[in-house]
Amino acid sequence: MAAPSMKERQVCWGARDEYWKCLDKNEDDASQCKKLRSSFESSCPQQWIKYFDKRREYLKFKEKFEAGQFQPSDSTSKS
Amino acid sequence: MLQHRSIRPMLLLARTTKARHGLSQLKPPALPRTPGGEAFHARCQLLSKQGPAEAGWAGKPRGPGLRTRLLVTAVLGAGLGGVWLALRTEKEKLRQQQRTEALRQAAVGQGDFSLLDHRGQARCKADFRGQWVLMYFGFTHCPDICPDELEKLVQVVRRLEAEPGLPPVQPVFVTLDPERDDVAAMARYVQDFHPRLLGLTGSAEQVAQVSRSYRVYYSAGPKDEDQDYIVDHSIAIYLLSPDGLFTDYYGRTRSAEQIADSVRRHMAAFRSVLG
Repeated sequence: MAAPSMKERQVCWGARDEYWKCLDKNEDDASQCKKLRSSFESSCPQQWIKYFDKRREYLKFKEKFEAGQFQPSDSTSKS
Repeated sequence: MLQHRSIRPMLLLARTTKARHGLSQLKPPALPRTPGGEAFHARCQLLSKQGPAEAGWAGKPRGPGLRTRLLVTAVLGAGLGGVWLALRTEKEKLRQQQRTEALRQAAVGQGDFSLLDHRGQARCKADFRGQWVLMYFGFTHCPDICPDELEKLVQVVRRLEAEPGLPPVQPVFVTLDPERDDVAAMARYVQDFHPRLLGLTGSAEQVAQVSRSYRVYYSAGPKDEDQDYIVDHSIAIYLLSPDGLFTDYYGRTRSAEQIADSVRRHMAAFRSVLG
């Protein structure tokens, strides 16, 4: 399988950004963004979808952590 | 009298040098070998040598005047200071020579590679001698970071290209995914970024070797049903000098502007060690 071209990459990133914007607006309620999700999935390789889903989780965590809102769980704070 | 006074400093200066030479020949093991230590001993010897002359002066009713003493001290101080400066310069020169030698050895050995460019031509590090190189390691199926970093890299190259009088910079992309990134895949990929971006690939062993010598970590993840996978790898743009030496590296947080500034500084300070 050939790697996506620059054009294909840009289409994929565009669809991802639209989907992420929708999630931001709807407090990460994916049921509100089904249409954009399917557009995202059809624009990007499957492996990238998995990667971007994890990346969004990571970026969200990072944002929270940097804002000082992250609360370590009981098990973490006890150790 | 006046004549005497003006001659004395010169005599003293000659003696200072003599005293130092005598000392460096003797080199008693108990002597501290710092420049300051030597200076101290040189002064001791000097004072004892000039003993008789001093006695003659002291025999005169008025003795040496304050001006003479000050003059003697000043000349002595200047002489010793000169010696200390000379020693320091010598030491600095030696250190520079040692560093040059170490860098020369690193230039011929470390970071060498044998790869194919995206036109199928064999390339090794020596081919880039005389050129500044900006080098990035990644893979063509990379979702976002590699294209971002490569875009940044070619922006740096464009910025530097636009400035007259600067030597050209060769942008290079080395794949960490030799299984999928053959010559054709690399050719397709690099053309999207910059006309001079050179893609390098090779066998699994060749890629392992180049990544080892540049301390680049990479690890291919599990394959999905499309046989697709992500290669996890360290992210850094490397700057190599025209001697082929690793000169600097830039992580994700550095902007194109910051990198261009740094490259410009390295260019201004560059002096070849290979000659």
